[in-house]
Parts: sequence; structure tokens; C-alpha cells
Amino acid sequence: MNSVLPLMAGIQLDWFSLPQQLVNGLVVGSIYALIALGYTMVYGVLRLINFAHGEVFMLGGYTALLTSYAMGYSPDAIRQAFAEGREVTSSPLNLVIMLLVAMAVCAIIGAIIEYFAYRPMRNQSRIAALITAIGVSLFLQYAGQLFLPSNPPPSVAQDVNPYQAVYTKVFSEAVIGEGGTVIRPAVEVTITQGRVIMLITVVVLMAVLTYLVMYTKTGRAMRAASHDFDSASLMGVNVNRVVTATFMLGSALAGAGAMMLTTFEGTTLQPFFGVLPGVKAFVAAVLGGIGNIPGAVLGGLVMGLAETLVTWLGYSEYKDAVAFVILILVLLVKPGGLLGSNKVEKV
Amino acid sequence: MKNGLLQIAACALAVGSLSFFAGCKDPSAKGGEGGTTAGTSGSGSGASASGDTIKIGLVASLNGEQRPWGVDCEAGAQLAVKLFNEAGGVDGKMVELKVEDSNSKPEEGKSATEKLVGDGVIVVIGEVASGITQQMKTVALEAKIPLVAVGATNPDITKDGQGLISRVCYTDDLQGPVMAKFAFDKGLRRVAVMTDKKLPYSTGLSKTFVARFKELGGQIVAEESYQAGESNFGGQLTRVKATNPDGIFMSGYFNEVGPMARQIRQAGMNDVVLMGGDGWDSAELISNGGDAIVGGFFCNHYNDQEDRPEVQKFLTDFKANNNGNLPGTTMGALGYDATALVLDALKRLAAADKEINSANLAAEIMATEGFKAVSGDITLKGTNGDPAKRALVVEVRKDGFVFNKAYEPSEVLAK
Repeated sequence: MNSVLPLMAGIQLDWFSLPQQLVNGLVVGSIYALIALGYTMVYGVLRLINFAHGEVFMLGGYTALLTSYAMGYSPDAIRQAFAEGREVTSSPLNLVIMLLVAMAVCAIIGAIIEYFAYRPMRNQSRIAALITAIGVSLFLQYAGQLFLPSNPPPSVAQDVNPYQAVYTKVFSEAVIGEGGTVIRPAVEVTITQGRVIMLITVVVLMAVLTYLVMYTKTGRAMRAASHDFDSASLMGVNVNRVVTATFMLGSALAGAGAMMLTTFEGTTLQPFFGVLPGVKAFVAAVLGGIGNIPGAVLGGLVMGLAETLVTWLGYSEYKDAVAFVILILVLLVKPGGLLGSNKVEKV
Repeated sequence: MKNGLLQIAACALAVGSLSFFAGCKDPSAKGGEGGTTAGTSGSGSGASASGDTIKIGLVASLNGEQRPWGVDCEAGAQLAVKLFNEAGGVDGKMVELKVEDSNSKPEEGKSATEKLVGDGVIVVIGEVASGITQQMKTVALEAKIPLVAVGATNPDITKDGQGLISRVCYTDDLQGPVMAKFAFDKGLRRVAVMTDKKLPYSTGLSKTFVARFKELGGQIVAEESYQAGESNFGGQLTRVKATNPDGIFMSGYFNEVGPMARQIRQAGMNDVVLMGGDGWDSAELISNGGDAIVGGFFCNHYNDQEDRPEVQKFLTDFKANNNGNLPGTTMGALGYDATALVLDALKRLAAADKEINSANLAAEIMATEGFKAVSGDITLKGTNGDPAKRALVVEVRKDGFVFNKAYEPSEVLAK
């Protein structure tokens, strides 16, 4: 029954920690899902892969941080408060403001990118638009290197956010032998309050998105444009407005994800912060069926769980490779994605 | 057609990213690509000093992930040159420091070195990280110019150096065992290791730590990897927790160590001792890690609370020349040491009335004996370029790093 040790000897299924790992996977996956939505919505309407989406995500992180500085939680202010022995805690209101500002700024950035970079390319070949997207992505990364600080001190982000509590549910205690040897590991699930809030926020945002897309006029226009861009414009849909709205929605979700990641997970910011999550979320979008909104959510969760389960099996060094293995498998077996339509397209 | 394009794009991205992750593992495997070195003084005998000034080069990570180190390194080097010139230079001839930015990237460090060689420097100083120094080495060897590394601790740096490559820091062959011995002496017996698989520095350091800790009789209960840029370590930490460790060795850079420390505590591992190498050395470690990292230990080159005269003089001078600020990292001292060591060799060269050129300077650098550096005495004579230096273990406090213990190489490496 000594299933944890030795860890080095190939796959050792550690059933005791599976519940915890599933929770971990869910947390990671929810953020992937949030970013993947941006990829999938833009693709749905424009058939364009917005490679700059990861950079919008990065800028959202910086926006949230700078907002917290502006609200009086700058590193200097916090240091001074500690020196004077004052306790600094931000209120939930501060976090809500950070979230909203990050979402708003990202939405504007998304709209600007669309207007200046993608709109002039709209009637060009798809490959030209794709290369433009890569160009915008690199531009933002390196402009970030010039103008944004690397590893800025986190502020509200961690030390002073009010959601530091940790919830632990122990199902069975660990049995520890002589010298600390684990005879039977504990079965327990630990989750921080911050992560709980993150999960709830993701669910709320997705509900709002579903409402916007399914029950509003703009949403209907979006679906029409996604179905057939040209016909929609002939039917009187203002497609330019629809495209702008799509970019704004997707970017706002990325901004929310970045704010929560830096605040509740303690991730440090740097101009390449968006690259890895961006790539993983792109894979998630393709996995779920790019252009398909529920698909992006499903894809994100599957990606998060797959990564965590690879770690659970003891192969954390292959954690990132699994994303690309999944991508290749999906493209080979079901190119449309899990929830995508597999219809044959006319050439 | 539409789907086809998507597939091509996605596949290209997937393959590109895979090779990117894999390719980062071992830059040392790459040889010199040849034919890239800018011409210096004729047939590969290295540059010689001509004109009014003697030019020396510095490659530093002034931007990118290692910016805190690069900025300090440059400030230290500038300080050394300034003091040297104020004291009269080399027989009245001033030394000019040419600085190039590597952007924390190996390839850019290589082209920066090529640019310096083209500018006619007789020696190149740098870098703060091993991956970049590896690439600079290929250029230095080709141009036959001495290279003095600042903070590159990977043992391979000085291998096959042809008498040109040296460094002023200790190596991971020392650093890993120092932390292993420290952990064992502290009574830790069950240690888990977290490695940043993207960094040659981290993988190398973990290896030497693990080997020594096992030799001493300790048990490595878990070895998990992550990747720079990652933010959620929940999966790995859950595995680590299940093995009931009494210590965790994190061999990566401060960027990820801070958030990881927070998540370790959040996962409920409150009494586990956190340890690492000199990659932790940055004020950002404390702001990123908060209370979670306080009480951790790491191996470092020097500590600004030591009362050796070299340390105190350096700190006074540094403050006076940097608007009253102290260096935020050890690289301030190491950048200063590397530059001062080069300048000292230049001076000896002039005193012996030898021609000032790269070849003579390289020989003189390698003849350094008992040089009083800020980070401890440096002797390169009779070595392959690796000084036998002591290493310090410092403790992380809320307001800085405090000296805890010093280890001589002999007491760590002896069986």
C-alpha cells in the first residue's frame, strides 16, 4: 500500500492525492478557459487567430498592478506601513476596482489592436492577417520590455489582499512512521480563499458572456457574423461594430484572468508573462473546437486537468509537452475539436 | 481550405514551441557557429591597446528577466573603472568601459560580445548567468580575448578555456554541496527538490545538491520540475506534500521562487525549511515571496554585513557613486570584483613593462594570486580559471539577507 515511495520508480499511482490534484487542475483550467474564450470568439467572427491575445493578457496584469499602486498600495507605501507597524489590508472593493479597470483597459487595448492592425488587413489573404497577428504579439512583447518593469513588486496582489485564508478538508489523516517516512499519506483537499473566489468569478463571467451572446442584440449580430460574415453585413448588421465588440469582450476576459492570476496566485509580471498561458489557451481553444464558446471552456478545463494529471503521474517535466501532444492528436483525429462541427468546407 | 490553414498554423506553433522548450535545456552542447567574429587586429592574436584609452568590454543583462542583476553588475563595473581612473589609470592612460546589453538572452549576449570585439576591447567581462556566458565564450575563444565571467556558476564555463576563460564566482560544484551540507547539518533528512527545467543553471545545481545530500545520508523524497514563467505549482506541490519533506530545495531564480514559496505555505507545509542557490539573490525575492520566504536559506557570494575592510570600502564607494543606494544584489560586488581584477592585472602588466594586449592580459589574469576582492580572496594561478572561494549561507529576513554560516571549499568537498 506504500504507493507514494519511491517516487522515482516510474509511475506510482498516488490515489490519496487525486482529489487535491483534480482541484488543482480545475483552478489552472479555469484560467485557460477564460483566455481561450478570447481566441475562440475572434476566430468565430473573423476566422483570425489573434496571436496578440496573450499580450493583451499580459497588459491586463500590469494594469491591475498599476491600479493597485494608484489606490495607495504602492510598494513604498506598504513598506512604510510595515516599518511603522501598521497592518495594511485592502478591502474587497479595491480588488473589484482592480478587476474592472483591468477588464476595461484590456477591452480598449483589444479594440485599438483590431482597429489599427487587423482592420486594414481584413480583405487581405488570411495568411497575411495571421502574420500581422504574430507581428502585433512581438511588438507588444518588446515594447513591454522597453516601457514596463520586469518583476515589479506585487502590492495588493498578495501581502495585503483580504483573501489569504486556506480551507482544508481532511478526509483521513496521514500516518507518519519513524524518521518521517510516510506510511499512508493524508487524503485531504486544500484550497485558498483566493482560488475559490477565482473559480466563482470565472463562472460568473461565463454566465455574463453567455447572456451577452445569446440574449442581446449585439450577441445576435455576433452570431450572425460568425455564421456568415458577408451575408450578415448585407442584412444590415454593422459588422465593424460587431468585430470591435468581439475583440473587447474577449480582451476583457483576458484582463480578468490576468488580474486574478497575479492577485491570487502571486505570479510575478514580466513582459513575456502572456506567452505561455497564451499558447496553452490557444491549444485549449483548438481542442474544444475553435470558434465554439462552450468548446473553449471545455478545452481549457481539459487542458488544466491533463497537465495536472501528468504531474500527478510523476512526470512534471512533461507537463508542458502534453499540451502540444494533445494539440497534435486533436488535429489528427478530430480536426474540428471536441465540440466543433466536422463539416466539410467548400474550397 | 479554412481548416487547413488553421492546422498548419497550429502545427507550426506546436512544433516551434516544443523545440523551444527542449532547445533551452543545454546551450553548452552548441559549438561555435564560426565565421561571425568581427575582425580585430589581424590574424587572431587578439586586440592590442592603441590610441589614448584602453578599452575593456562588459556584457550585462540590462533588460529582461535578469535585469536586477545586470543593472547592479554594470554599476559595480563602472565604479571599479572610475576609482581606477581617478587613481591615475595605467601610467596616466585612462581605461574606457564599453557596455553592451544582452537582454538576458544567450544569443544577444553573443552578438553583444561580437560587437565589443569589433570595437577593439582587449578583454570582455560578463555575464551574470551561465547560459549567456556559454555563448560569449565561443566568441572570446575565437577572437582570442580573455573573458572574465561575473556570476556564471555552471562548471562547464571554464572547460577547454585555452587559458582565456576565468570567473570571479564559485561554481555549482561547490554551491550545491554547500547547501546539501548545510541542510544535513541543520538536521534535515527528507528533502524535496524543485527544478526549473528550462535553466541549465537550475538543473545543474539540483544535480550537485542531490548527489551530495544522498552521500551525506539524507533522503531526496521528491524531485519535481517546473518552467520559468509558470504560475501555478499546485500539482507539483501536492506531490511534494504527500512525501512529508522537512526541507525543499528550490534551485531556480527568484522570479518563480517567491510565488512558489507562497503556494508551499498555502498548501499547508508551514514548517518546511526552504533553501536555494544564488539565483535567489535579489530584493524581489522578499517582495515576491512575502512572509512565506522569510526564514529561508540560500547560498551566496558575499554579504553586505560582513566586516571585512574590502566589503565596507566597497559599500561606501558604491553609495557615494549611486545616489546613496546600495546594490540590490550580490552582482554589484561581483561586477566590481571582475572589473577590479582585470584592472589589477592591467596594472601589473604595465609595471612589468609588457605590451598591453589580449594575450599578455589573459596570462596576467590567470596569474592573479590572493587578490583582495569584495567577495573574498581570489587566486587564479594554477587553476583552470575557477577560483577556490568560500561560499556563504544567508538567511532571508523581512528586511534583507543576514549572514548565517560560511563554508570553505575544503570542508564541503572532502568526503
